[in-house]
Amino acid sequence: METLAAVVVPEHDREVGRIGMWVFLATELLFFGGLLWAYAVVRGRWPHGVAVAGAHTHVVLGTINTALLLTSSALVAAAVEAVRSGRRKFSDRAPALLAAAAVLGVAFLLVKGVEYAMELREGLLPGPGFALAGERGAELFFLLYWVMTALHALHLAVGVGLLGAYAWGTHGLRRWATPDRAEVAGLYWHFVDLVWIVLYPLLYLAGRNA
Amino acid sequence: VKRIAVAWVTLIALMLASLGSAYLRLGAWNLAIGLAIAAAKGAVVLWLFMGLGRGPAVIRLAAAVAAFVLVLLVGLGGVDFATRVDDPASLQVPQQLRPLSQGGAAR
Repeated sequence: METLAAVVVPEHDREVGRIGMWVFLATELLFFGGLLWAYAVVRGRWPHGVAVAGAHTHVVLGTINTALLLTSSALVAAAVEAVRSGRRKFSDRAPALLAAAAVLGVAFLLVKGVEYAMELREGLLPGPGFALAGERGAELFFLLYWVMTALHALHLAVGVGLLGAYAWGTHGLRRWATPDRAEVAGLYWHFVDLVWIVLYPLLYLAGRNA
Repeated sequence: VKRIAVAWVTLIALMLASLGSAYLRLGAWNLAIGLAIAAAKGAVVLWLFMGLGRGPAVIRLAAAVAAFVLVLLVGLGGVDFATRVDDPASLQVPQQLRPLSQGGAAR
C-alpha cells in the first residue's frame, strides 16, 4: 500500500500551486485591507463612538473564537508537517488533524452565530432602531463589524469545506489529495486565521477599559 | 511537531496578553499594543505555519509585494482623508414662512 508521500508531482507543479495561492492571498489582503482602512478612518474621526460601540461586542465569545482559530491553525500546520514527513507513522495522523481543524472551524461558526443572534436582539445591527444611534461613529463601527466578520465567516466556511475535503481525501489516499495540495489548502486556512488575528483587537478590544 | 506546539502556546499567550492589556487605561497605547501583539501573532503564523521563513525567494517576494501594494493603497488613500477639512455641513432647519399674500417675511 502506498503512503501519502509516495504520491508525487513534478517539482514545478508544487511551486506553481503555492505561488498561485500566495498571489490569490495577496488579492485577499487588499480586499480585507480596504475594509481595515475604512475602519482606521472611522476610528480616527470618531474615537469615542468606536470605543462606546467596541465595548458592546462580546469579548468572551470573541476570545474563545480567537483561541479556536489559533488552535485549528496549529493543527493544520501539524497536519502539513505530517504529510510532508513521508513517514507512515506521522502521515497517517494527517487526516485526523485536518478533520479536527475543520471541526474547530465549525465550532467557530456556531459561536459566531450565537453572537450574531445576541447582537440582533441587542439592536446592534445598523439601521432603524439601532441601539447606539445617538453616538456618532458607533453605527459605522457596527457596519464594519458586520461586514468584516461576515466576510471572514464566509471565507472560513469555504476553508472548512477545503479542510474537510482534504481530511477525507488524504484518509482515502485519493490521487488528487497530494501533500502539496493539502499544504496549499493549509495556506488558505492560515490566511483566514491571520485576518481574524487582526480583527480581534480592532473589534473586540476597542473601548474595553472605559 | 514540537516547534508547532511551542508556536501554539506562544499564540495563546499573546492572545491573553492582548486581552489583558485592553483593560488597562493606557490611552492611545491600548491600540498600539493590541496591533503590535496582532503583528507578533501574525509573524508566528506567517513564518512557522505558512512557511515563509523557509519558503523560496519567489514566495517571499509575492508576500512582500502584497504588503507593499497594501501600504501603497493605504498611503495614497490617506492623502485624501489627511488633507480634507472636517467641517460639519451647515444644516438649515426647515421652517414655515408666512405666505407673501400675508406680507411674507421671516417668522
